[in-house]
Amino acid sequence: MQVVLAAEGVSKRFRTTRWRPTLKESLLQRITGGGSATDEEVWALRDVSFEVTRGDAFGIVGHNGAGKSTLLRLLCGVGRPTSGRVRRQGYVHGLLELGSGFHGDLTGRENLRTGGILSGFTDHEVRSREEAIIAFAELEDTIDQPVRTYSSGMYLRLAFAVATHFDPDVLVVDEVLAVGDARFQAKCLDRLRAFRTRGGTLVITSHVAEHLQTLCDEVLVLEEGRVVMSGDPEEAMQCYEDVLARRTERRAATLGADPRQLVGEHGIRHGTREATITAVRLLDAEGHAAERLPSGGELVVEIEFERAAGVRDVALTLAIHREGAKAFELSIESVTATVGTLDGRSVLHCRLPRVPLLPGPYWVNVGLYPTDWSVVYDYHWQMHGFGVTDATPSSFERAGVVDIAPECTLVRRA
Amino acid sequence: MRGRSVRQRFDLVRSLVQREFVTSYRRSALGWAWSLLLPLAQLAVLVVVFQYLVPLGIARYPAFVFGALLPWTWFSTSVTQGCGTFIASGDLVRRPGFEPAVLIVASALAGFVSYVLALPILIGMLWVEGRPPGPSLMWFPLLAAIEGVLIVGLGLAVGTLNVFYRDVQYVVGVVVMLLFYLTPVFYEIPATLGAWRGVYLLNPMAALIEGYRAIFLHGTSPDVFPILTAAAVSAVVAVAGYAAYRRAIPDVVDLV
Repeated sequence: MQVVLAAEGVSKRFRTTRWRPTLKESLLQRITGGGSATDEEVWALRDVSFEVTRGDAFGIVGHNGAGKSTLLRLLCGVGRPTSGRVRRQGYVHGLLELGSGFHGDLTGRENLRTGGILSGFTDHEVRSREEAIIAFAELEDTIDQPVRTYSSGMYLRLAFAVATHFDPDVLVVDEVLAVGDARFQAKCLDRLRAFRTRGGTLVITSHVAEHLQTLCDEVLVLEEGRVVMSGDPEEAMQCYEDVLARRTERRAATLGADPRQLVGEHGIRHGTREATITAVRLLDAEGHAAERLPSGGELVVEIEFERAAGVRDVALTLAIHREGAKAFELSIESVTATVGTLDGRSVLHCRLPRVPLLPGPYWVNVGLYPTDWSVVYDYHWQMHGFGVTDATPSSFERAGVVDIAPECTLVRRA
Repeated sequence: MRGRSVRQRFDLVRSLVQREFVTSYRRSALGWAWSLLLPLAQLAVLVVVFQYLVPLGIARYPAFVFGALLPWTWFSTSVTQGCGTFIASGDLVRRPGFEPAVLIVASALAGFVSYVLALPILIGMLWVEGRPPGPSLMWFPLLAAIEGVLIVGLGLAVGTLNVFYRDVQYVVGVVVMLLFYLTPVFYEIPATLGAWRGVYLLNPMAALIEGYRAIFLHGTSPDVFPILTAAAVSAVVAVAGYAAYRRAIPDVVDLV
């Protein structure tokens, strides 16, 4: 297995000065030999090591500020580590800042051409791909308008299309899956999968663990500049959740909130309570409390929540679990963007018109998060239960979670 | 390795020059005509002052000044703008695989394009005087190349330093302004200079402007020795500027 990209004990320190030293201050510092009083050191990365082999998809997960972008920059050869080193083989292409080099006064087409040439292509090669890129970005009608007139979604679509139509050996992607709507995101994911199928090596970051789980062979969890673990995506996801839980506990402690409570017989509630779920109501089609739901019936979940004054927007998850198994999960990355502006107290009405679950006990687990998913505001685990009953009696023993109505007959052959 | 062919490098520089040129003027009604207006306005003022108010008694004064103003404008605007190049194009400086020095080269070339676009006006003036330039113009590419090397070298140095110390842009502003008076743009090199003439011509812009004047105004080839000196000074500046840039660029990336 050929290693195409390797970090060996990479650390990176930034000196943040509250204000930039002037020439005078620097000279004085040289003369007196003392450190400047305004210097503060921040270690963005501490002793990070890993290897990426050819054809692999390597994921890096960590919340905003964990050091992902700094690490990717160093991998691409932008800047140098304070200590340790990065080894690269082949042409490493990084999509670190989408639309770098774009100029608002230039049209989409002009930016596309410059962008393609910046990606290492000749003018001729760019022109031969131009139509395909415009089609991918779905900007046929506006490509000759200045990009300053574009919506942010259009801008990102163009930037992503330009960046990924020029295939390198190793592609390093920073959070670009946050591009556009869900449909365009799926298209981007398809493109990345196709790139892998062609034998390309992919390094990708996200703060959304699920994106990496489906795409990567190996995932590294980064927290405050250090590697927490690196390995199987499944384990990494678990580890990332633990990291999230620990961070939530620390934050809750500083806010003086109780980070973890046992509720009832099975329930656990945790979070910093900067936004709080005040009530969860499970209703059937008639609006009655849905303690028993016929399989395939309608379930309405009403989530009532309050937020602190500083919280403008929240992310929300709603999942249906059965003892250890997730039957369904819905996540809303931004309630403000998808559902509407929040009041101090809001009620989210969520209708699930058909719930085809096998009979048994289920839980509705609900979570509120900041939109960068960096901590948990409030999570209700196994606090809201309901039962599913058979709509029509079945003569078969069934196991699992989904109710697929089986019909079995014997076929006699002559 | 892909993307490093000569053709690709050429396309990259051309595309950046075009971008710089187009974006400078796209949202203005007069477009690139603005690049002519600055030297023309300066020309008008200098002619009024030194031909009528405080006459210097220099023959063919408008062409004398204009032929020097164009290369001076190229030099002064490129070097002054060079201070902000890396800071303004932070997204490109941080872009993997991109060589930030290309921005300085592109900016110098964009300035050169403005220079060349204004040349027909100068040639027109000489034509009207009945003394159109002749074969001595073949020296033009050499002079422009020396000036280009000088501009790129200084641009790399000031562009890099300014990322660390924003003081540099003010120092450069003052130095360029002072240099304008130490360069024979609107006056002739005084004959009284004597032995100091050699020292005076150590300023490569002084030697180059004398050279441009020889080829445009007088139709003669430039003096060899000052041009060789200018070439040597420019080469030293370029090597030093590039070395400073090379050394500092990994840290520049963290600051822009």
